[in-house]
Amino acid sequence: MTEDAEGWRRLDARMLLVHPLETLIRFLPALLALVVFRAGSEDNDRWELYAVPLIVAFGVLRWVTTRYRIADGQIELRRGLFTKQTTTARLDKVRTIDLTARVYHRVLGLAKVEISTAGGQHDRLVLDSLGVDAGRRLRAELLHRVDPAVTGLPAPTGAPVAVDDVPDDAPPPVDDEVLVRLDPSWIRYAPLTVTGLASAAAIVGFASQGFSRFSQERSVFRDGASFVSRLAWWVDVLLLLGVVSLLAVGAYVLTFWGFRLTRNRLGTLHTRRGLLTNRETSIDAARVRGVRLDEPLGLRLAGASRLKVVTSGLLREQGGSDWLCPPAPAGVVTPLALRIRPDEAAVSGPLTPHGPAARRRRLTRAVVPALLVAALLVVARLLWDWHGSLLVLVPLLLVGAVALGRDRYRALGHAVTPDHLVTRHGSLDRQRVVLDRDGIIGWKVEQSFFQRRVGVATLVATTAAGAQHYDVVDLPVEMAYAVLAQVSPDLVAEFA
Amino acid sequence: MGAVEPLDVPVAPGAVLREPAHRVSRRAVLMWTLQALVVLALLLAGQVVWWLVDDAPSRTPHWVVGAVWLVAGAAYAVAMPQWRYRVHRWEATPRAIYTQSGWLWQERRIAPLGRVQTVDLERGPVAQLLGLAAVTITTASAAGPVTIHGLDLPVAHELVDALTAAAVAETGDAT
Repeated sequence: MTEDAEGWRRLDARMLLVHPLETLIRFLPALLALVVFRAGSEDNDRWELYAVPLIVAFGVLRWVTTRYRIADGQIELRRGLFTKQTTTARLDKVRTIDLTARVYHRVLGLAKVEISTAGGQHDRLVLDSLGVDAGRRLRAELLHRVDPAVTGLPAPTGAPVAVDDVPDDAPPPVDDEVLVRLDPSWIRYAPLTVTGLASAAAIVGFASQGFSRFSQERSVFRDGASFVSRLAWWVDVLLLLGVVSLLAVGAYVLTFWGFRLTRNRLGTLHTRRGLLTNRETSIDAARVRGVRLDEPLGLRLAGASRLKVVTSGLLREQGGSDWLCPPAPAGVVTPLALRIRPDEAAVSGPLTPHGPAARRRRLTRAVVPALLVAALLVVARLLWDWHGSLLVLVPLLLVGAVALGRDRYRALGHAVTPDHLVTRHGSLDRQRVVLDRDGIIGWKVEQSFFQRRVGVATLVATTAAGAQHYDVVDLPVEMAYAVLAQVSPDLVAEFA
Repeated sequence: MGAVEPLDVPVAPGAVLREPAHRVSRRAVLMWTLQALVVLALLLAGQVVWWLVDDAPSRTPHWVVGAVWLVAGAAYAVAMPQWRYRVHRWEATPRAIYTQSGWLWQERRIAPLGRVQTVDLERGPVAQLLGLAAVTITTASAAGPVTIHGLDLPVAHELVDALTAAAVAETGDAT
């Protein structure tokens, strides 16, 4: 690694190759449009080529002007030619570090390093790109310095860790414990999640948009569509299920291939995943505030679940770097959650149900919309003479709604253990959150007009981590204040 | 670690936290009424534009729509400020802040001052006219800001000073 006298380091020079490529990919739709446009005109002036030296120059400029260094307990990032912009972050505020390597990064041995610090969504330092080894070394420097036990010095003013001491190997060091490794047979769960279906839909949308640019191929689509419409309806359904499952499996493989979760002796969690785009995330143990067990309906029926981490310093839903375990059998996920939060009552123990009022509210909320839709169907049949077979949907809808309401009530529950507050809710998207009691930094007790009438309230624990707030839904008012008093007795005593 | 802790607080009907001690300024009612009137004025402007643009000979729809929002709006402008005033309360101790707000949807917020990051005093145009201010207390959680609307300006200044002093006294990462 090259450093100047003041310790400033540069990005890897190979980023000069990556930058034009990324620009090209960003403008790919515009370029395609240009090519199509060209095909129909006699203009031979390739004026878009003038952009190439500009793009290259811009990349060089970025390489020349971007520097970073670690000094005085801070990481500094300097950018810009005319407006020099310096971003600084204290090392003890570093929460998580992401290394992302897309295909072209990997070919060149590069990785993009993103450093999240405390204090919200905007505090991110992005280094695009470093060599993979330099990135890993930087990560080790940042995360290990946070812990005084390693440097033997107070965190904010510690001397730099000798860079060469940190091995730049790919496999985890021997003292890292491997918590979970992807078993290829888990791919069978891919079609059972909404995420899988959503990514399948995204792929279909993207592909059809891409194809529709080539007008001469539209006849292929027309032929295909008329072929499909001639098939029996159940063949169509099977076909659709097959295609969607395949796409969901594809998305699962792309995202989670080679998934591995390890923990080093400082407790830092490392995940690694991805088939084409390689992604490594390191999460400082001191920032972890709990875990979230997701059991969406599809996975639950198949006896599976997935695990996410509740931590500060991750962007919400930011590319899903909060995964601790992809969809996997419950027999794998629950013990894993127990290794991260060793509190059996919180992770898998029984929960306190919220009583009859909550149950009535779940049923009302499920049944009323179903009744509305059913009424609309009947009206449509009477007024506009819709097909009678649609009325078959009415009993199906109502039975489904009652089942959904009951299942949602079954999910509802909470528990307070010596270290954690546990809350669970949802049917299609059931989740159980195990939140550290000392990660809670405030409370809300919310009551709508209807909630006040039946004497229930929603207790909200606010936190700096994860979704920022976790709700215990529709519990009797007295119980809400009892939980509040039990978890934060000092706070309640202030206003006794 | 193991079993679920038994609730050491008796769960009896009425075992709820008492209300915060202080009401907001009586002039807050006026502030909320004025704010409601601004909304009504916007609706009226929309109605006038529709009246001028519409070419249809019949004016009945105009009168019907106008009457509907006028009745609903008047009820809102009269009932909402009173209702809000009855609900809005606050209390601060050297260690914690406790507020109650809303009308149809009501909520209580309670936060320890050790986790406070910033304290803001805000005065909108209507609030300035009436000598009122709002105090917002922000914690490290994006879901956590606590706002007290409709405080008398001197009370608001006093509260900000007290909160700032308390937040300085408590140290820590605030996360």
